[in-house]
Amino acid sequence: MRITGNRLIDLSSASTTKAQSSVGTVSAQLSSGLRVTTPSDDPAAWLAAQRTKVRQALSQGTGAAVATSRDRLTVTDNSLAQIGDIVSQIQTLAVQGSSDTYNANNRAGLGAEVHGLFLAALDSANVQGNDGEFLLGGNASVTAPFDAGGVYHGDAAVRSVPGNASLTAGVTISGSSLTAAHGVDVMPLLSRVATALSNNDMPTLLAALPDLTTAVKQISLARSQGGAAMNALDQTTAARTVLEQDMTAAISRYTEVDSVQAASDLAKASQSLEVSRAVASHIISLLAPST
Amino acid sequence: MSDLFSLLSVGSSSMSAQNSGIAIATNNVANVNTEGYSKERVGDVASGTPVRLQDNLLTGQIQTAAGSLAMSQAFADALASLETGMVGGGATVDEQIANLFSKAGQASAAPTDSVSRDAVVAAARDLVAGIQRRAAAVAQARKDANTRIGDNAAQATALAKQLAAANAAVAKTQSPAALDQRDKVAKQLGELVGGKARVDHDGQMRYVLDGGAVLVDGIHAATLAATPDAATGNTKLEVVNGAARRDVTSAIGGGKIGADLKFRDQNVAQASGKLDQLAFDVTSSVNAVHTANAGLDGVSGRPMFTPVAQVAGAASAMAVDPALLADSKLLALSAPGAGPGDNTGALAMFSLATQNVATGGTTLGESALGIVSDVAQSSANAKGDVTRDGLVTDNLAGLRDSLAGVDTQEELTNLARFEHASTAMGKFVTTIDGMLGSLINSL
Repeated sequence: MRITGNRLIDLSSASTTKAQSSVGTVSAQLSSGLRVTTPSDDPAAWLAAQRTKVRQALSQGTGAAVATSRDRLTVTDNSLAQIGDIVSQIQTLAVQGSSDTYNANNRAGLGAEVHGLFLAALDSANVQGNDGEFLLGGNASVTAPFDAGGVYHGDAAVRSVPGNASLTAGVTISGSSLTAAHGVDVMPLLSRVATALSNNDMPTLLAALPDLTTAVKQISLARSQGGAAMNALDQTTAARTVLEQDMTAAISRYTEVDSVQAASDLAKASQSLEVSRAVASHIISLLAPST
Repeated sequence: MSDLFSLLSVGSSSMSAQNSGIAIATNNVANVNTEGYSKERVGDVASGTPVRLQDNLLTGQIQTAAGSLAMSQAFADALASLETGMVGGGATVDEQIANLFSKAGQASAAPTDSVSRDAVVAAARDLVAGIQRRAAAVAQARKDANTRIGDNAAQATALAKQLAAANAAVAKTQSPAALDQRDKVAKQLGELVGGKARVDHDGQMRYVLDGGAVLVDGIHAATLAATPDAATGNTKLEVVNGAARRDVTSAIGGGKIGADLKFRDQNVAQASGKLDQLAFDVTSSVNAVHTANAGLDGVSGRPMFTPVAQVAGAASAMAVDPALLADSKLLALSAPGAGPGDNTGALAMFSLATQNVATGGTTLGESALGIVSDVAQSSANAKGDVTRDGLVTDNLAGLRDSLAGVDTQEELTNLARFEHASTAMGKFVTTIDGMLGSLINSL
């Protein structure tokens, strides 16, 4: 095949341009850290990365729901703990008040103290989240679930939130766990004890003592259920953290540059460019005398 | 004596031939960088007529390859532009769909929380904006393609006229320069419209488009007219020859125009249709969940997105329900009658992320991914086609150069050869002339 001088120059020019383009491509990849900047760079890798990003976004939604639920369970558990403490204190005061050594005045004093504790328990039972939701109200969570007499007006619903693979159930505790449905009506019981002490109503007071014991157990059971839910949420979070790390690594693997490989490619491309330039220079000098 | 006169005649002819050789070599060197120039050689020694070195088959292949390369390049450029429109400017639609469902999942932990509710509404608004932006990008791509088709059709008409004029010049002079010019114009025409140029027995070139419509017939050039098609809103192409009009829109499959037609009628139409279908599916499926659930006020039956009646145009018509935009308390995250703290609606919306509710039996996210993925795959294939066609064109250019390219060193050598031959012939004539003089003087 006959090759003209112009053709030689064209070929060497094309070779130099190609080598220069390779250097530019690899340099851009190294500086940006990205191998896939547009989907068409590697459609399969881009698609895999996008699918992972979608899963990551959904996982983040799950994570936020789990974190919120965990925070609220903590607040709820603290409230139940306070209520439990208060019930224990009231139980102690009720036992004291039931003693024959106490007279009506002594009991009236204890009654006032128990009433104050009842109000504190009521505050705890009507605990609200950051957004103002009443945490023990079940689904009726926009109004205070316990009224001034301690009567529960919420429902028994408990919430489920998305987990890693399925729903995580029971991430809220309903105030119904403090009602007769689960033992005794705890809050009215406290009010009744305060009234009995104030009124020196010994039969009522004595009748309330076993109920107070039941109430303590009832609260403890509610807290243990909450603890189990918190444990489940913590496990979900731990698994999700690992999953998200894996997904981040996968996205990086699909779309980012392997720096060692890229550095090697850059060296090769640079060498190729130098050779192309040298060849072009040689061709031009060879052709120069005749042109 | 008569032999000496014959020798003088031979010398004269030979000197003339050598001078023609010098002229041709000089002309070759002068045109070494002229695009499309075919090297010339001395043909008929007696007349000194130059012969143009070229191969009709190779010329045809070069024209076809130029059309293919121009088509690949234009197609790749158009797809790259559409791809940028589909993925540029922030989150992709599949990410925005995932974000909407993610926010719904997040709100399931606090369905009465105004911040969580606002976040869901904001994600819905972002999704609508994202789909509308992509719909606008697709519409712009269609508009740009139509504009380019119109511009290139006008350019093709001008080139067709030039080709007819070149045919006339060839018929008149048969000069190599006219033939070169005709091949060059035919190649440029191929880059615009594809098709084929053929030189018939009468020496005239005819340019035939894919599908058989004749654009140039000897010295007659038809017009490639671009007019709006009322039915589709697209530009249609017709070959107009006098009163005759022939629609060639679906026939042209090469060159830049072929690329834009393919891009517009396949890729853009497909992306537009799928985007509309996605918007329709998102609206339908999310609304189905939303209307079945209740807002903070306990009222159900309200949509999240303004319902759309049909698939066509759904992407650009998509909108978040104005009442919901104004008040996120209307966001239906609870089952009717279950109380505001219920999160049934939020969970149902979150679960849409993994349900195959999109047309084609996929998730909505996969459906969105498919739109970009199709464009990306086509774009990647087009880039490969550009490389392939570039290699073919380059190889053919090498073959042409081997046959018809000017090599300056070779031409300078020829020049020296012709100069020396001419000088020798001069001496030969002088010698014969001297011999004749001596002979005449001796008589």
